[in-house]
Amino acid sequence: MDLSFLTVQVLSALRQAAFLFLISSGLTLIFGVLNILNFAHGSLYMLGAYFIYALTLHLTGPAGFVIALLAAPLGVAVVAVVIEMGLLRRIYVQEEIYQLLLTYSLVLIIDDLAKIVFGPEYKSIPKPDAISGAITIFGGTVPVYTLLVLGLAPAMALVLWYLLYKTRTGKIVRATSSDREMADALGINMSALFTLVFAFGAILAGFAGALAGPARTVFPGVGTEVIIESFVVVVIGGLGNLWGALIGSILIGTLETVGIVVFPEFEMALIYLLMVAILVVRPWGLFGRPLKVKALSDKNLGMEAQEISPVHFSMHPLVRLIPLALLLLVPLMAGRFYQYLLTQILIASLVAIAFNLLLGTTGLLSFGQAAFYGVGAYTVGLLATKAGFTPLPALLLAPVSGAVAAGLIGFFCVRLSGVHFAMLTLAFGQLVFAIVYKWYGFTGGDNGIQGIPIRPLPGGIDIASTQAMYYFALAVVGISVEILRRMRSSPFGATLKSIRENSQRAEYLGVNVKLYKWAAFVAAGAFTGLAGGLYTLMEKSISPDMIHWTKSAEPVLMTIIGGIYSFAGPAVGAAVFIVLNSYLVAWTENWALVLGLILLGMVLMLPGGVVGFINEKARGALTKRGWVRKWLFSKSTAS
Amino acid sequence: MAFLEINGVVKSFGGLRALQDVSFSVRQGEIRAIIGPNGAGKSTLFNVMTGLFPPDSGEVVFDGVRITGVLPFRIIRMGIGRSFQITNIFPRMTVFENVQVALFAHHRKSRNPFGMARRYPSVAAEALAILGQVGLSEKHELSASILSHGDQKRLEIAISLASRPRLLMLDEPTAGMSRFESRETVELLRTISREQGLTLVFTEHDMDIVFGISEKIVVLQQGGVIADGTPAEIKANPRVRKAYLGEETTES
Amino acid sequence: MAYLDLNVINTYYGRSHILFDVSLSIEKGEVVSLIGRNGAGKSTTFRSIIGLTPPRTGEVIFKGERISGLRAFRICRKGIGFVPEDRRCFPDLTVRENLEVAARREKATDTPWTVERVYDLFPRLRERERNLGSQLSGGEQQMLTIARTLMTNPEVLLLDEPSEGLAPLIVSLLAEMILRIRKEGVTVLLAEQNLHFCAKVSDRAFVIDKGSVKYEGTMKELLADDGIKEKYLAV
Repeated sequence: MDLSFLTVQVLSALRQAAFLFLISSGLTLIFGVLNILNFAHGSLYMLGAYFIYALTLHLTGPAGFVIALLAAPLGVAVVAVVIEMGLLRRIYVQEEIYQLLLTYSLVLIIDDLAKIVFGPEYKSIPKPDAISGAITIFGGTVPVYTLLVLGLAPAMALVLWYLLYKTRTGKIVRATSSDREMADALGINMSALFTLVFAFGAILAGFAGALAGPARTVFPGVGTEVIIESFVVVVIGGLGNLWGALIGSILIGTLETVGIVVFPEFEMALIYLLMVAILVVRPWGLFGRPLKVKALSDKNLGMEAQEISPVHFSMHPLVRLIPLALLLLVPLMAGRFYQYLLTQILIASLVAIAFNLLLGTTGLLSFGQAAFYGVGAYTVGLLATKAGFTPLPALLLAPVSGAVAAGLIGFFCVRLSGVHFAMLTLAFGQLVFAIVYKWYGFTGGDNGIQGIPIRPLPGGIDIASTQAMYYFALAVVGISVEILRRMRSSPFGATLKSIRENSQRAEYLGVNVKLYKWAAFVAAGAFTGLAGGLYTLMEKSISPDMIHWTKSAEPVLMTIIGGIYSFAGPAVGAAVFIVLNSYLVAWTENWALVLGLILLGMVLMLPGGVVGFINEKARGALTKRGWVRKWLFSKSTAS
Repeated sequence: MAFLEINGVVKSFGGLRALQDVSFSVRQGEIRAIIGPNGAGKSTLFNVMTGLFPPDSGEVVFDGVRITGVLPFRIIRMGIGRSFQITNIFPRMTVFENVQVALFAHHRKSRNPFGMARRYPSVAAEALAILGQVGLSEKHELSASILSHGDQKRLEIAISLASRPRLLMLDEPTAGMSRFESRETVELLRTISREQGLTLVFTEHDMDIVFGISEKIVVLQQGGVIADGTPAEIKANPRVRKAYLGEETTES
Repeated sequence: MAYLDLNVINTYYGRSHILFDVSLSIEKGEVVSLIGRNGAGKSTTFRSIIGLTPPRTGEVIFKGERISGLRAFRICRKGIGFVPEDRRCFPDLTVRENLEVAARREKATDTPWTVERVYDLFPRLRERERNLGSQLSGGEQQMLTIARTLMTNPEVLLLDEPSEGLAPLIVSLLAEMILRIRKEGVTVLLAEQNLHFCAKVSDRAFVIDKGSVKYEGTMKELLADDGIKEKYLAV
């Protein structure tokens, strides 16, 4: 390896690390003080890049570029202040998942707004001549801009260090991140500080975007790519720890550069492998500590948490048969489009209900369900294409492979909970994605597999026809949903609920909590795999897109829309989601925006979901009418 | 051999000695209080005894079996029940379900994923009987989160009883209760102990209760045992007086 | 009207009722003890005053102004300083930084507390200036939390069990500090279990048990009253 090559690679690794550090330092700072993992941080980065793009259209020359580079992050800060004061502030006392979802809804909204304003295409940002050339160092050609980045990022790190360690406000920020209540009692205005920290974190993200924009490009989805990388960085380093973010950035920057050179096939997989390896040894990251539940109650921020009651009336068994009857009759009334739509809804419902066995029942937020969906789908796809399997045996193996994958992944994840659990499942999910995406020889890589041969079922039923596929899916999903329903009402389900409510107490009932969490994870993985297999049979083609983490977000959204504490909630959410998707896509290009706004509204106003809301109303209206209650509902139980 | 033996237990947290060489023993059926000023190490001792964390040295022997280093859920299965200082129930489940889930665990039925939880008439009857014992029968359909504090504490005792423990450890069972509620709870505990031969070990700051029901008392101060004896002996012990009043010389 | 008045306050943690109709009144310049056993309600009384666990009914009046219902940081800025019992100094900040973040209300008095002045009061802290909060011993942490609260230039200092878990020598040092703080014109409300520590520093005492005030009187009277001591404080 010669010196020029080495120079180029080292500088390129450092440049990558520099960008990562700028983004993840803001992310980790916000987490440290506000205790919120900000999904929208990548979108703030994107805004920084778009702002500098817009500004350089008008400001030219070196001076214009410098002004744009400084003004863009400030613009991002303004957006951040609006977000913090208008939205985040209302949910500090809510459960973690609602905070995550609120910031996720912002990802959908901001990304789509960017698309509306700036268009869907890639934009490149012109650099002034003075910094667009390249120079030669040790025989290697290095862009001048890289040197600029390598000067500015450490400078920004120094500024950050200075602010946090040498100014009074910075010291207050550090104090608050270790003990909010004490800071409050010492006269520190928590609300103002939260706004300040969120805005400052946003400036860092915006600066990263403004600086990276001219070196890379910018497009509406760039935020969702960037955010995952920075999650990896902060989780490796330890959530809330700045040194961790620095070390994590250098590790990931280096690994990405080395990966591209040495294992171009598995560069992406490498960073997730590293993350998994580190978290297996140190579950809280290199510099992290186990998160204490920070006492943040109504008094700190002057409001009271809204309690979402999981105690529901369950439907009378006969009432439950009505939807089934309707579903059986649909093909007689509706055309192929509706049958196809309903098949999609059925499959999505199974994914969401299986997911909710984890979230609603056990209290585990998995952000990696797409991995099991993909494993099931590829199992059927590969068996049918490469081994000539007929649909039934192939489909039977889909839940098996889903369960095996979940068993392996779950083994490492179940000792964690909360945000750490979510992040580790996300990393594993992305690891699976990265492998499938690049393994051309086996999975078809990013092309996926098209034209999967689907042979008729025994008895000559050809599920290639929409109607047959619909009935087949209805049968498979119906049986699975019934199994899941029984699981939730069983002693096993009751035990999972007790773990959700109070895992320490459950342990003191003599319950092996980790084993039960693992079993729930495996069961959810199996049914998700089965749903993936059905998807292959329906679409006859598969691609790695279905494993990407944004796909893992879908069951989360469906469940929240429908209602986390009701069994049917996720299915209702899936129906709303798929219908909105199909119709909005025809009606507007900005369906993500609409979805984001709906999600935002749900999180702020209906945290119990549609079904939770109906249940709440129904309870009020129907408890008085004895006979209605008797016929429609059986006893109240906790979901 | 004693029913429960604590032998030379030592536990430090980052240089801070929380427990130093704690030893005492409890016989079967005894009602035993552990008292001491704040920070004396009572909760740490409880946590060591129920496996939340292992001691640095020393051992806990329950009914002839060494339980130090054993995981909490296994300790519970050996017949030790525990309640917590901060009320520890399953808030968003019904009162009935709180006890039912404990019974499932006790009868090793938790792992059944297909039978319907409500189709266990024997478990349901048992749950209702336990709720009757603690006086919560009428509230069994309510969500546990809406119970009064006293009722929640009672529910916690019911949950602990459901694992049919031979030794029940209670961390401040009457904390936050009104005077009337505490008196009722104490009566309840005494009755249960007498009827079922249950051994009770508890911490408590209400001295009326401590001296009212315990047969023996062990006093901790700064992590060490400073006295161990009957209520009368403890009352007369000058070191105990000093620990509580901070007297520098013994006064009459 | 007294300097600091608690008028029939009732405080809850969630559903559990902790303080029952607690009324206290404290005059300017006093050192008053609030004595009671574990769990008697001393800390909750303090948390009610500072606003961390606001009372559900009743009111807290400071210098004629109602402060109950304000958020904690506002109450602090009115001149009430709270030293919690569990010595919560900021573990990742140095001793000096712990003090700096708390500096506030310098204009409220003619002789405001500065880092240098609190170092004069607690010379040990000067020696450990560059150490992190987490590296201090228990006694040093206690000094630091008191010093830190002094930096907010309080007119009333709420001290929650400062003597707890400290060696006897440190405890008597602490008593001296409290008397010096009082000389600076700070009114002190001291929560304690240690009756004899209270006797050294305070003139008046309230005895609290099971969330309500059982006794009010001078320290001398209390020391002489074996009945009260036996009933509420001893075992």
